[in-house]
Amino acid sequence: MSKILLSGHLQYFGVALFAIVLLILPLLAGPYPIAVLVDIGFYSIVTMGLIILMGFAGQISLGQAVFFGLGAYVSGILTTQYHLSPWLALVLAAIATGGIAAIIGRAMLRLRELIVAGVTLALNLVFYYLVTSLVDLTGGASGMTNIPRLSLDGFIPEYTLLNYYLVWIIAFLLLIFSLNLVNSRVGRALRSMNQLAGGSEETAQALGVNIMKYKVQVFALSAIYASIAGSIYAYYIGCIEPDTFGVQLSVRVVIMAIIGGMTSPWGAFLGAGSIVGLTELLREFMPVLIAGPTGAYELIAYGIILVMALLFLPQGLISICHRLVPQGGH
Amino acid sequence: MKGNFFRLNSAANPEKERERDIMEQPILEIRDISVAFDGLVAVNRVSLSVRRGDIIAIVGPNGAGKTTLLKLITGLLPLFKGEIWFKQQRLDRIAPHRIASLGITQVFQDIQLFSNMSVIENVMVGCHVWTGADFLSTGLKLPWVRAEEGSILEAAMDKLSLVGLEQKAFAAPSSLSWGQQKLLGLARALAAGPELLLLDEPYGGLIADEMEKISQLILGLQCQGITVLIVEQLTGVVMSIANRVIVLNYGEKIAEGTPSEIQSNEQVIATYLGNGLAGK
Repeated sequence: MSKILLSGHLQYFGVALFAIVLLILPLLAGPYPIAVLVDIGFYSIVTMGLIILMGFAGQISLGQAVFFGLGAYVSGILTTQYHLSPWLALVLAAIATGGIAAIIGRAMLRLRELIVAGVTLALNLVFYYLVTSLVDLTGGASGMTNIPRLSLDGFIPEYTLLNYYLVWIIAFLLLIFSLNLVNSRVGRALRSMNQLAGGSEETAQALGVNIMKYKVQVFALSAIYASIAGSIYAYYIGCIEPDTFGVQLSVRVVIMAIIGGMTSPWGAFLGAGSIVGLTELLREFMPVLIAGPTGAYELIAYGIILVMALLFLPQGLISICHRLVPQGGH
Repeated sequence: MKGNFFRLNSAANPEKERERDIMEQPILEIRDISVAFDGLVAVNRVSLSVRRGDIIAIVGPNGAGKTTLLKLITGLLPLFKGEIWFKQQRLDRIAPHRIASLGITQVFQDIQLFSNMSVIENVMVGCHVWTGADFLSTGLKLPWVRAEEGSILEAAMDKLSLVGLEQKAFAAPSSLSWGQQKLLGLARALAAGPELLLLDEPYGGLIADEMEKISQLILGLQCQGITVLIVEQLTGVVMSIANRVIVLNYGEKIAEGTPSEIQSNEQVIATYLGNGLAGK
């Protein structure tokens, strides 16, 4: 019992420390690092949903960009064409995306994990063609513009800083939600059916876990996380186009989840932070090392570092934290 | 005179009479069930009835259909023909998780512990059937969810203490010996609060002391009113604790009776026990 209490206290200590760091960081960083941190925030939210889906429930998804895009487009449409408040549109987009994901999930999640991965990959293409075809609604291939900005008039006038706090407050709240979830009856049920990491669907069912219900619900939950991030992204950027929400984004988020580690929602911040940070670092320092265009070299270096990270830390960066911080096993 | 008194008494109390009727009815009834895989018949027209509080042993050689029979009861395999009834409720059209919530839990032959969880968490999953927190309420950690988590933890520790594994609560299941893993599987199943417990080869791979411990636990469960259905190849050990024994061979029931009746049954001796094992 005491071990569980210790583990719980450490968890709360970690969350409190994280909140303090997030509050202080903008005071120390300039506008460019804050903009990078906003990007990390978006990716962290999407990756966190994916970690719960893949790391805990063992369901592979290569289509999170679709739900990110759905959030962005539904919010964009509701605010520009129906003049709804951006906050209300964000909530409605999340509900709509969760509903769509539940319908897709119900049809798809009876299949084996690898086939599910293939189907979710195909969803990226379906979404792309849908968005480019519905020109009146989505603006087609040229995208949507003039999406209204989120505002908190009178509180934070500086736009990037406002978005920084907005994204990170939401990421922080979703972290607490996720930590509560994974350390609960629901989290244990998800892990019990995770065949990729030591669970067994057969045993889970024999112990009363309704695996189909949980698969659909966790798929919808991960889609809601992505949708929330997508909505804020649309408001932040102000214009969206279908190319942003392609297969590359889906794969990038999966890489973030793997690099960060899929055994804890904290892995989302580590994964998103390291991948975005690495990309920015290479962009910054490659021109110093190599003369001329460096795009190709950046990609090669990026690939090598990723492979090395996977070879030496197959459980992701979170495994370093697990070694440093005692685990209560709960 | 005494009989009349009881009859008059129960007639005056229909609730009690109904309760007594329910208690006297079989808790599990299997009627003429069959199942085949790729044309190969695994269970062929098997019928049996299990009374509440009994320990029933199903024995037979490899491939006799014993494990298949258990999986048919828990709904993990679809039934080809026949009916399975549990407490007057037909099971063969119900999903496995619903069957578990009715009060049937199975311990698998290979235990199938969740290696991605600690020992205590494995047992906590067993409490899933009688708890109800969902995604939203757990994510928000509502007060009633905290209370429920507390009772899950308490129940899980209680079951671990019952099997003597409380000191291993935070260990990884892989760090346990085979015998301890068997006990953990049993604790996890008991956490579900079953009325009917299905044990698939609970003695497999155990040493004599561990077998004795499992037997004592099973007898203890019987005292608590839990009905136990054991599938086992080691006939000697189950003969000592079972009320009745059912013998399967090539998917067919070839005999049923008390342990002593089975041990002297010529067909059973000829097909399964052999002269050396009869009477052991």
